[in-house]
Amino acid sequence: MADTLTPERAAERLRGLSADVRAAVLLDAAGSLAGASEDDHERGPALGELARKLFEEVDRATRDWDTEPPEQVEVQVPGGAVFASRTPRWTLVAVAKRGALASLMLYDLRAVLGELEGGPPIRRSVSAEERAAGPATEEHAAEELPMPELGGE
Amino acid sequence: MKEKRKGPLSRAAGLAEGMAATVRRMQREREPRVLVYDPTGYARLVQPEARGHARIMELAEEMLSQVAESE
Repeated sequence: MADTLTPERAAERLRGLSADVRAAVLLDAAGSLAGASEDDHERGPALGELARKLFEEVDRATRDWDTEPPEQVEVQVPGGAVFASRTPRWTLVAVAKRGALASLMLYDLRAVLGELEGGPPIRRSVSAEERAAGPATEEHAAEELPMPELGGE
Repeated sequence: MKEKRKGPLSRAAGLAEGMAATVRRMQREREPRVLVYDPTGYARLVQPEARGHARIMELAEEMLSQVAESE
């Protein structure tokens, strides 16, 4: 059985999903740093503070809009991009390489947050050699689905 | 109606047009911008002259600088 994703490991999980993620931080509902990707423990607090301010500014900029508050944000800047996604409990922010595909980044952010909220874990497909030999069953086939299944809300 | 058969030259031109369109789209996607998505995935652009746009860009650039410094 797969381990349950903890807030401390969520940012690193995101980096594991996407090679385009250079750094990631997770904030809790109060805006405090709950986790940072592995190499980012030193810069984590600074990145977390910037991430918190980013959503504050986004909320300020969209306050008068006749829509629901934004759930995800994409900021393209020269040299890279910042992607962010939030739920009522968590905010996950990623600093990405230039050219990262926005749709994939936003999907991965949402998938990790879904897993953190108790949704099913994201599985990677495995090659036939890695998998133990055995009869092909529907159960095995379902486990090989490459797409993460997001928990329904 | 019978479809007009394309020769190798027009097929090559078609490929080149497709590649040029892809490059243009990729360049457009990398232009500095702020997009926000509502819970249904609907995207809206924060206009460059809008309140907060400049500050959002600054914060994102600062995040990138932080990461670049430690790489």
